[in-house]
Amino acid sequence: MNTIIILTILAIVVLLLGISSKKQWLVPAIFIGLLLALVGNFLPQLLPASKTVHMLSVDSISKPFTSLMLVLTFLIFLIADHYFVVKKKTVEDVYAIILFSLIGAVILTMFTNMVMFFIGLEIMSVSLYILAGSKKTSSRSNEAAMKYFLMGTFSTGVLLLGITLIYGATGSFDLAQIGTLISSGNVMPSYLKAGILLLTIGVLFKIGAVPFHFWVPDVYHGAPTLITTYMATVVKIAGVVAFYRLYSQSFMGAKDMWTTLMAVMAVATIFVGNLSALHQDRVKRMLAYSSIAHTGYLMLALVAFDHKSVSYLFYYMVAYSVATIGVFSTLMLVRENIKEGTYSMFEGLAKRNSFLSFGMAVSLISLTGLPPLAGFMAKYLVFVQAINEGYLWLTIAAIIGTAISVVYYFRIIVAMYMKTPSDVKITLTTRSRVLLSLFILLTIALGVYPDMILNLCWCGM
Amino acid sequence: MNIITALIPLSPLLGFLSIGLYYKSMSPKFSGIIASGAVLISFILSVLVFAEIWSTRTPFTVNLLNWITYENIQIPFEFYIDQLSAIMLLVVTGVGFLIHVYSIGYMHHDAGFNRFFAYMNLFVFSMLLLVMGANYLVMFIGWEGVGLCSYLLIGFWFKTSEYNDAAKKAFIMNRIGDLGFLLGMFLILQTFGSLSFAEVFSQAANYTGSTGVILAITLLLFVGAMGKSAQIPLYTWLPDAMAGPTPVSALIHAATMVTAGVYMVARSNILYVLAPESLMFIAVIGIATAIFAATIAIYQNDIKKVLAYSTVSQLGYMFLALGVGAFTGAVFHLVTHAFFKALLFLGAGSVIHALHGEQDIRKMGGLKSKLKHTYLVFIIATIAISGLPPFSGFFSKDEILAHAFAFSPVLWGIALIGALLTAFYMFRLVFLTFFSTFRGTEKQMKEMHESPNVMMIPLMVLAILSIVGGFIGIPEFMGGSHALNAFLAPVFEAGTKIIHAENHALSHSAEWALTGLTTLLVIVSITFAWFRFVRSHKVPASDSTKLNSLEKTLENKYFIDEIYDAIFVKPMMKLSRFFHEWFDIKIIDRFVDEIGKGVMLAGDKIRLLQTGTTGFYLIAMVFSIIGILWYFVLNQ
Repeated sequence: MNTIIILTILAIVVLLLGISSKKQWLVPAIFIGLLLALVGNFLPQLLPASKTVHMLSVDSISKPFTSLMLVLTFLIFLIADHYFVVKKKTVEDVYAIILFSLIGAVILTMFTNMVMFFIGLEIMSVSLYILAGSKKTSSRSNEAAMKYFLMGTFSTGVLLLGITLIYGATGSFDLAQIGTLISSGNVMPSYLKAGILLLTIGVLFKIGAVPFHFWVPDVYHGAPTLITTYMATVVKIAGVVAFYRLYSQSFMGAKDMWTTLMAVMAVATIFVGNLSALHQDRVKRMLAYSSIAHTGYLMLALVAFDHKSVSYLFYYMVAYSVATIGVFSTLMLVRENIKEGTYSMFEGLAKRNSFLSFGMAVSLISLTGLPPLAGFMAKYLVFVQAINEGYLWLTIAAIIGTAISVVYYFRIIVAMYMKTPSDVKITLTTRSRVLLSLFILLTIALGVYPDMILNLCWCGM
Repeated sequence: MNIITALIPLSPLLGFLSIGLYYKSMSPKFSGIIASGAVLISFILSVLVFAEIWSTRTPFTVNLLNWITYENIQIPFEFYIDQLSAIMLLVVTGVGFLIHVYSIGYMHHDAGFNRFFAYMNLFVFSMLLLVMGANYLVMFIGWEGVGLCSYLLIGFWFKTSEYNDAAKKAFIMNRIGDLGFLLGMFLILQTFGSLSFAEVFSQAANYTGSTGVILAITLLLFVGAMGKSAQIPLYTWLPDAMAGPTPVSALIHAATMVTAGVYMVARSNILYVLAPESLMFIAVIGIATAIFAATIAIYQNDIKKVLAYSTVSQLGYMFLALGVGAFTGAVFHLVTHAFFKALLFLGAGSVIHALHGEQDIRKMGGLKSKLKHTYLVFIIATIAISGLPPFSGFFSKDEILAHAFAFSPVLWGIALIGALLTAFYMFRLVFLTFFSTFRGTEKQMKEMHESPNVMMIPLMVLAILSIVGGFIGIPEFMGGSHALNAFLAPVFEAGTKIIHAENHALSHSAEWALTGLTTLLVIVSITFAWFRFVRSHKVPASDSTKLNSLEKTLENKYFIDEIYDAIFVKPMMKLSRFFHEWFDIKIIDRFVDEIGKGVMLAGDKIRLLQTGTTGFYLIAMVFSIIGILWYFVLNQ
């Protein structure tokens, strides 16, 4: 609650600063605001749940995920500052819209009511449609925004229809009430089943699961890289948490139905994501497919549902987000010097800047999921959880998918370390160095000592 | 005290990281100072820790983190400091520091200067983990770490392929030993449910189960020690390891790493005591190695090779001591050996440095007039290793011999012969190197120079230690109190309690007699060497002369390398070539390639789904939704 209030004020302040001549205050204001929001997340809430008619709840699920999203946004702004300075643009509108979409994402970690769920999702999505097209001069960016908008509204329609059917069957928007009704043991009317399925499909669209993933490659590729980073991390986290909240609170009674659906789709997502990534020439597009594949692994954790999976989900999101930001920020740094977006831009990077290529390699290997890095531990926890819950075949599929992913992640590493370099040297600013070191250290530290996160998720929150 | 202890290994680790990460841009002077400074800090902290242990006499544990927790197995990342590890800390960091300083002078021409110091610091870090670990796993990390550094430093001049072969040989031989260590560790975990020293040893003290398991554990661990401490049959890597820079030979292959096996067995003394057969086995391997290597050393002409075989031989003595239950004696000899053997290597390094890389003692001679200081320290070390009173080697070697005698006069007899051989080959080395006239080239003669101070000062310090180092363990029959024995007693208490029930102690007069006899014979042996190499100016024959078969066998080290080559290496190569050509390429590779092709093809097809047309996407989604609803709602 505090977080939402602070972020809203911050976004408005950013817009006002944009009109005024004090633009140099823009970035510091955002950093201070995000830090305040992070602190506010842990302070006693100004508006307790009773004051919001039980629409939102700040609890042990929302706190860690909200903090993660705030920290990630903070890191993205650290990169953004540099990114936009290079691209020379007016930025306050983009910044404000990112913050607005962050508000939507935060609501998605807190809702206890279908109405708030829908509002949060839309605040986030509508902002994203604009952000995807924020590179106004680029036709590809415009195309991405248009496609995203068309397909996004379509999925919103499906989702709304789902909520309507559920309301029709249960007479309530409140998650807990819906939950009690569904698990009461009465035979579910078929329109309630249809409602749950349609709602599921709507959410799966947002996190980019096959066969509702079509927007992902085009939008990730077309949107400015910074926005892609934001979508691949913060937005994906919001989708996954929303999923967890909905299903843990309302639809446990219909577990058999949606877990079957999710299991099939998880396999499809893992395979389509990994196989399509193999033949991509453009790194950003490859990363889009890689992001789809990771959605598949996350769905595995959602399918193998029990009280522990939330901490595994959280760990997975941390590991995945850190590695993803690492990869995208390297991509942006390299793109500053070389315009083309194919694998060849990484050729000989180790010679041109060994630190940068080391950071990239660590992030990629973490995404692949090799020990001792965080990505390995994340996958390990999820897979073990899935096996314990009896989804052995699903886990085997996921492991095969992981094996395939080695090919495209290591293509970059091979290009960096084994190809002859062009003579363009890359120099890093101190800030980029610090950020990269942070990503590398986090990736290694989390992998070696996962309890750091796993315990954090539960104690004192 | 906890923080101080944790900082001891951290300091060289940071040294390694800072030099390693910036080894391209860092100036050599700076990296030398950082590396030595890092070890110096460790040394100072070690002194503090030692002082603490000295005054309190109570071991303590430092828990850094709960590392592995699985069901009821707990393996924390812990350090355990007791009397034994405190002494090892002093040796590792003290000798390590001196050798680091020496290296600044020795390596200063080398292009890989920074790389060298990065490896050296990494080595010290690993060695510290090895001696500080509170359980076998932490010890094993150090154990592997020092093996890695040894590999990297033996192959330091990697442009010469021979050196790389030597590095590989060391690594592979050590791997064989490590396998034994690993299996032993698994068996310990299986038997005692823990790897912590405290837990394992306290359980072992009251152990009533089958002795077969203990025997297996101890023998497997000893296989590890054989590899690391170069005992028969896994010793051949150590002489080859002399390919590395000389300070490396001094630090890793004389003073510290190779004694890891001794440390490990001494640490596990309680387990070994429970399996007398394996103690016997250790004693036999130890004495065999001691005498075997000593005979080889007599016919070696490379200054470092002589020292290498001498190291193998001295390590044999330490294992003999362990085998006869003289744990303190083993540690005592480990300490004094670290001093005088490091000194010998560094002295040899100084000679090699002066002669611009010459290592063949047949091409030296008469160096004592030119290299006065080096000669002085070298002769001190030689006296120490030969075991003449009151130099350090005298006390430690004498203690081992006395225990061997108490155990079995036969063992003592063989050990004595080994000691005489030691005195002989060491003085042979000294006489050939420093006495008579110079046999090298004119140019070498002219350019010969004494080493700079940065090299000489560590030598002096080590020389002093080689002289007085033995005073920490003056035996009772000479009126001393054997401070070391009293200090280490708690560590070996449980073990010696069981052993001493069986062994009878020697009377003082018998000990006097043994000591007197040994000393006398050593002097005879030295005199013999003097007559042979100084009086009659005998120089070992050059490679082309024909030797008689005994000489030939010894000079070729009993052809052990050739035998290993024929029995293990060549058949292995053949087998591996067979598997490579038939199995690997034709079956596995093919299989893998086909899978790869299949996956790529699938990727190529599936990617076509992404047409880029929004209309297609929407229709695909609509059909998917219809399909899902049909399956889950209408179909049931």
